[in-house]
Amino acid sequence: MDGKRHPSSFQQLEKLGEGTYATVFKGRNRQTGELVALKEIHLDSEEGTPSTAIREISLMKELKHENIVALHDVIHTENKLMLVFEYMDGDLKRYMDTQGDRGALKPMVIKSFMYQLLKGIDFCHKNRVLHRDLKPQNLLINSKGSLKLGDFGLARAFGIPVNTFSNEVVTLWYRAPDVLLGSRTYNTSIDIWSAGCIMAEMFTGRPLFPGTTNEDQIVRIFRIMGTPTERTWPGLTSFPEYKTTWQMYATQNLSSILSQIDHAGIDLISRMLQLRPELRISAHDALQHHWFNDLMPQQPQQQQHHQQQQPMMQPHRGYQQTVPSQQNYESY
Amino acid sequence: MAFLNQPSDSTFFVETDEPVQQRTINMRDAAKMLARNKQEMIANELSRLACDEYLEDIMQHMRHMEDETLPDANLIDMQREIQWFMRPYLIDFLIEAHAAFSLLPETLFLTVNLLDRYCSKRVVYKQHYQLVGCAALLIAAKYGDKKDRVPQINELNNMCCGLYDAGMFTQMEMHVLNTLDWNIGHPTVDFFTQLIVAEERDSQEVEHMAAYICEIALYHRDFVSTKPSIMARSSLALARAILGKAEVNDGEWDHVENVTLLTLSQHLHQPSVTLARKYSNPYYSKVSGKLADFLAQQAAIARRGAPPSPPSEPTIASKATNVYSTPHKGLGAVPGVVDGYMTPPITPDGVSFGQKNATMKDYQLPPRCPVTPTPQPTHHTSSTYAQPQQQPQQHIAGPTTYFDGASSNMSF
Repeated sequence: MDGKRHPSSFQQLEKLGEGTYATVFKGRNRQTGELVALKEIHLDSEEGTPSTAIREISLMKELKHENIVALHDVIHTENKLMLVFEYMDGDLKRYMDTQGDRGALKPMVIKSFMYQLLKGIDFCHKNRVLHRDLKPQNLLINSKGSLKLGDFGLARAFGIPVNTFSNEVVTLWYRAPDVLLGSRTYNTSIDIWSAGCIMAEMFTGRPLFPGTTNEDQIVRIFRIMGTPTERTWPGLTSFPEYKTTWQMYATQNLSSILSQIDHAGIDLISRMLQLRPELRISAHDALQHHWFNDLMPQQPQQQQHHQQQQPMMQPHRGYQQTVPSQQNYESY
Repeated sequence: MAFLNQPSDSTFFVETDEPVQQRTINMRDAAKMLARNKQEMIANELSRLACDEYLEDIMQHMRHMEDETLPDANLIDMQREIQWFMRPYLIDFLIEAHAAFSLLPETLFLTVNLLDRYCSKRVVYKQHYQLVGCAALLIAAKYGDKKDRVPQINELNNMCCGLYDAGMFTQMEMHVLNTLDWNIGHPTVDFFTQLIVAEERDSQEVEHMAAYICEIALYHRDFVSTKPSIMARSSLALARAILGKAEVNDGEWDHVENVTLLTLSQHLHQPSVTLARKYSNPYYSKVSGKLADFLAQQAAIARRGAPPSPPSEPTIASKATNVYSTPHKGLGAVPGVVDGYMTPPITPDGVSFGQKNATMKDYQLPPRCPVTPTPQPTHHTSSTYAQPQQQPQQHIAGPTTYFDGASSNMSF
């Protein structure tokens, strides 16, 4: 990263979004014409550089992967910090709203997105990073149909054995039940639960567990996944938020709630949406799941020779052509 | 568990009911402890799973990061103003500050790593050495600790006895971040220690002793460029030996580990009082006392076993160990001798610090708080600090070529 670069190297275009601690603009590199996303972070003279910025920048510098938004540069001026990211056309939330059928996406698009999402998660976990805030708004999409993980403001490096973390993480709707129950020793499985929720949402166009409070969120999960007991979840009663007053719900059949999903897809999502974190599938194993088998249909060994002539057969395997190209994307 | 349903308003527990209250609390404590144990078991299971799945990849990444983020003691040698004898003051200060804010154990190691990496890259004036330390602590806490634990700048400022302007902390923080190119992640010795302890099922006492040894190592130049993974293995092996635990066979040892172990064992005498006091706490299994006992025992054995012929030998031996002992900022380096409030170590200043070739003798007396910030009549006072870009660097001469492109940044 070149610290001598100046904000004026970029032409600031329209505003893409505004968060609690940053504003994102579309930008253009004046020299190369390349589009970028400029995340401006206001610097407080009292507390100095925000911890979110320190974590986000240092972790994203370690995570160079095709399914993670690339951080090109950090430019520091007197009262603000400007992060220069690769430009993406929009986020998954916006994509579902504009491209989906009442929010629902086509199965092959979903499969491609899920594969890329899990690839990105797997790479984070291999590099001992938990994202901790996976949700459609934080998954960025470009016109080539690539999906990349963005916003690492809540991300954290983890140790082995797992350290104790804050349980004030992840947007409520995508928060894992063990975290909702007050666990502070969650691990990689926290990101997998979010991925499972996102998968369901892509199929239905609606969030799977749209809770309003911590307690409501737990109840909504139990209503579908069934209320656990000490017998089905050893150690359950030891969680800080365990309540003896929970209503007992029977486990619903996921395929009847998510009728849009095929048999293999239901198998995968039910492995991701396990209440017990230790039973949740890892990103690495999920990527091997047979639901993804038909994602690269044109890739048997004998066709490899032709790959050079086929631009769509590049390292991303065969998923890119499945996404319709999009225009008019403004949200970052 | 009926007691959970008891009315919980405070009037229920009247003084005459003390035994009942006692019993209820005990049962609650027991239930809490049981819950905690269960949670711990779940956490262990989760760790094991993450371990099975990702350990190999994570280790590969950590080894790479370890090489990328190792400070270079040879470059720190070239610093004109800051000298190695000043280090114990700063490390003492950082250990006290780290404890005062109840930060995570790895935050201390990350702090010192950031400090040393910065000092491997930039010229640091002695009056800013402590400021760099504070900035490193601030960054390390922001990186790894919970938000509400991160020190406030005015708190740090108070700890420095108002030596710096409040604005200098944020400026230095940004300067350290930019100098290190925002590469803050670093596999600390703690990361590797936790891994080995889990693997070898070492006791908590061994873990605490190893942590104590690793923190003693922070004081010494010898270990600035030692890889944390090597430090973890060596300190644990040494800790097991000191506590009389069985050796473990954790793969082959090479030359570096053996040398590190030997060098560590030579630095255990006269640890910093601040550090020894920290580890005298029961929370840390009182390992500093145990180490002192062990060393005394060893010395007694050595005296008994010494050949009678040259009677002067023990004295020579003890002198020899003194050379290797922790450079300490004051007299009375025996744990437990100093009571009461410790002098907050200040950026070393005063007469003895101006001398390039100052030896241990020159700093027998620790500076007392508040130490004068001594705004020197030279051109690098705190007011010029605010405009570092305009600062000419004529006064830095000699072999400073390794600060390439740093001329506009060296005014710290």
